[in-house]
Amino acid sequence: MERFFLAVLLGLLMAACSTRPEPGEAYIVENIEMPEGLTSQVGALEFLPNGKLIAGFTRGEVMTYDTTTKEWHLFAEGLHDPLGIHVVSNDEILVMQLPELTRLKDTDGDGTADLYEKVTDAFGVTGNYHEFNYGPEIDSKGDFYIALNSSSSGGTMRDEVRGTINLEGRDGETGNRQMFSTVPYRGWVMKLTKDGVLHPVAAGFRSPNGIVVDNEDNVFVTDNQGDWVGTSPLFHVEPGKFYGHPGSLVWTKGWNRGNPFRLPLDTLDSMRTRPAICFPHGILANSPSQPVFDRTGGKFGPFEGQLFIGEMNRERIVRVMLEKVNGKFQGACIPFLDSLGLRKGNNRLVFAPDGSLWVGQNAHGWLGDVGIQRIVFTGKQPVDVYTMKLTTDGFQLTFTQPMQDTAALNPENYLFSRYYYLYHHNYGSPQQDLEKIPVTAVKLSDDKKTVTLQLASLTPGYVYELNLGNIPSKWGQPLRNSLVCYTLNELLNN
Amino acid sequence: MIRYIFMLLQKRLWITLLFTVSISAVALGQTDRLTTVEMEVLPGLQFSVVRFTVKPGERVKLVLNNTDDMSHNLIITLPGTREKVVEMANKLGESGPAAGYVPKTSDVLWTIPVTAPEKANELVFKAPEKEGVYPYVCTYPGHGTIMFGAMYVSKSGKMPELTKDLNIPESRRGDKVDGDAEHPGHAHEKPAPLHPYTPVPPYHYRVFIDGASPAAIAVALPNEVSYCWDAGTSYLRFAWGGGFLDNSDLWKGKGNAAANVVGSVFFRSKTGFPIRIGEEKPSEIVYKGYQLKKRYLEFHYQVDGTDVYELIHEATDGTGLERIFRIPEVTDPVTFYTSSDEGVTYAASAGVWKGGALQLTADQARSFTITMKKIGK
Repeated sequence: MERFFLAVLLGLLMAACSTRPEPGEAYIVENIEMPEGLTSQVGALEFLPNGKLIAGFTRGEVMTYDTTTKEWHLFAEGLHDPLGIHVVSNDEILVMQLPELTRLKDTDGDGTADLYEKVTDAFGVTGNYHEFNYGPEIDSKGDFYIALNSSSSGGTMRDEVRGTINLEGRDGETGNRQMFSTVPYRGWVMKLTKDGVLHPVAAGFRSPNGIVVDNEDNVFVTDNQGDWVGTSPLFHVEPGKFYGHPGSLVWTKGWNRGNPFRLPLDTLDSMRTRPAICFPHGILANSPSQPVFDRTGGKFGPFEGQLFIGEMNRERIVRVMLEKVNGKFQGACIPFLDSLGLRKGNNRLVFAPDGSLWVGQNAHGWLGDVGIQRIVFTGKQPVDVYTMKLTTDGFQLTFTQPMQDTAALNPENYLFSRYYYLYHHNYGSPQQDLEKIPVTAVKLSDDKKTVTLQLASLTPGYVYELNLGNIPSKWGQPLRNSLVCYTLNELLNN
Repeated sequence: MIRYIFMLLQKRLWITLLFTVSISAVALGQTDRLTTVEMEVLPGLQFSVVRFTVKPGERVKLVLNNTDDMSHNLIITLPGTREKVVEMANKLGESGPAAGYVPKTSDVLWTIPVTAPEKANELVFKAPEKEGVYPYVCTYPGHGTIMFGAMYVSKSGKMPELTKDLNIPESRRGDKVDGDAEHPGHAHEKPAPLHPYTPVPPYHYRVFIDGASPAAIAVALPNEVSYCWDAGTSYLRFAWGGGFLDNSDLWKGKGNAAANVVGSVFFRSKTGFPIRIGEEKPSEIVYKGYQLKKRYLEFHYQVDGTDVYELIHEATDGTGLERIFRIPEVTDPVTFYTSSDEGVTYAASAGVWKGGALQLTADQARSFTITMKKIGK
């Protein structure tokens, strides 16, 4: 009884100090009803200026969806695995399909595309099933970025290919053991300038199923764990750099070093640029897909400016908190949403005009589900890690809400371990040098939102995985996510 | 006429599988047997052997040959504990990778560790003395709910009827092997729709198909005539009658296949790119796209910078194609080359034929039609 009174008193006091957020789930997941007869493997998802959704599907359909009347309408058909759409206007889009980037236009106003115009096909195709293409993503100058998969060792080259063949782009010694690049620019990120010319930007990609450009024209690309990719990464892609998968190097201008698979591992390792973010495999994500920036101005909750990324292999959307250290991007990833009715195969993400996040799902023979779902912010503020930033001797965590101070100040509530992943031709990498790192000091800010954690050691080249204990908000609400992983490439210079 | 053949393949695959399940028992004496089970991984997260039977106490060698492009493990559990073990594996969370996704519980009997693509691992164990259905499952994150099978330990060696076996994934109880839920289970069932609409010719697909570059465009026309126009080479590659495409291989799993022609090919180009403007062989041919005209495709390409438009219809009588060309800006004479071994006869609306080549003045070349008819019946 006494405890009850205390609780009431405490509650009244708190209410007097600040507004207690409404308890309950901050996000809900809704299913979108798909048209009958459609195999709803979603390859592309965008919104038109008129507010309708436009989606591309594996069997070549492009359809629009009126979010008010909930009616589907066929816009185009017959495409070869469309995996990305850029919206030009209500009746014109660009579609990335296997053989080309294509402009689809409804020129006669009947609501259906009648013009299928090539925008670019200046890249090779061997007919290998894995030659998926991604994008196009536009930058502030109106140039487009696309990403081209390497070809799969599980498939073959067809008898007739498009593009010049260079067999040095595949691993001859072990035959078909690794993804390959035997026609131009497989495994590259490319840039299409306004004059229609497609330029190679950067090499070394395996299966870059996600590309996004930020407000400062930085290009970010996800890749998939496998050969040469120890765990799935997010790369900050800059011109002329190499991101790790060797085959594509043969298409570097002036390449004269023979078969790149023959180069010593140390050489390849020294050439490559490390990921801005590593998504620990089996922990954070196994197959990250499209990243999107939250530019909803708060309509989707407190994470404006951060990245949301789909995960194919489980019922999860991942959130990424980037920062620049010594001029280079690195940062942390955290599960944003797990389950709540979300399916697997989260392949394409797009924010609707109303600020909800639409998710298109795809399995394509791998692990996943099909269909479209919508994640809606309920307005109830989540208790979550808002940012994780590097300090000179540890990390600073800022939460979305004031936290309960005794829990927030308890070092035992911050369990750090660190590890790294090998760069090698093998498929994926186990965690290396896994070690627990003690927290030596904890400070809490006056507003109780920011904790500063001092660690016993900080070593670049490692992922720092943080498991948070039971730290409720000031109002007793639990943290939504207790796992956050920081990719430490650079230390802060003092 | 059937324009699609869809379900046959599944049936065929299943039958193949029934006969290739490699379980062999070798007698090593009166009582000591070694049963070897060769396990592979099928697309769509499926063990190739979805169930097998062994005798109590028998020695078993289980080989996991990972033919998939994802990593997998294999855990044999006590009867009735598969779901529990999978749930425990999921709860391993961040400690999962270090644990090989194997939860610590006495429900786990034996384990084949995480096996990378194209790698193999094996396990030899003595089957339990107690009869029962011992599940095996991959506990890699996300796989556990669909990737499992059943080891029947019994003296009789009997297993329930496949279709009624609740110990194997539902997708494996019929004659399906890839767990592709939208495909019909039996050939006599009405085929599942291919699209949210019924395709009515003319319509098209961009597909990988034999006999063309990977940038092929396959078009179905009325009169059961179909053709493949190649955006990689900018010319008509082949044409066929009696059907269109079977895309079931292409649309199944990862699509490591090509579209199959249904019907019989009556035309195959031997000429290569057929158009010459002026005297010189063209040095640059550029594909530009196509426009749908009453749903018929009109292709647009450039020959050394000169725009050419080619609209293809079915021939009005018999099996064949009508190719309506426009070269609106042409100022030089145009030659259209053919070859006598292409399976068709050619006729033209204008110009003069000379040794299989149609010669057109610039004026004639602005708009002309070439009709191709299948030779014979």
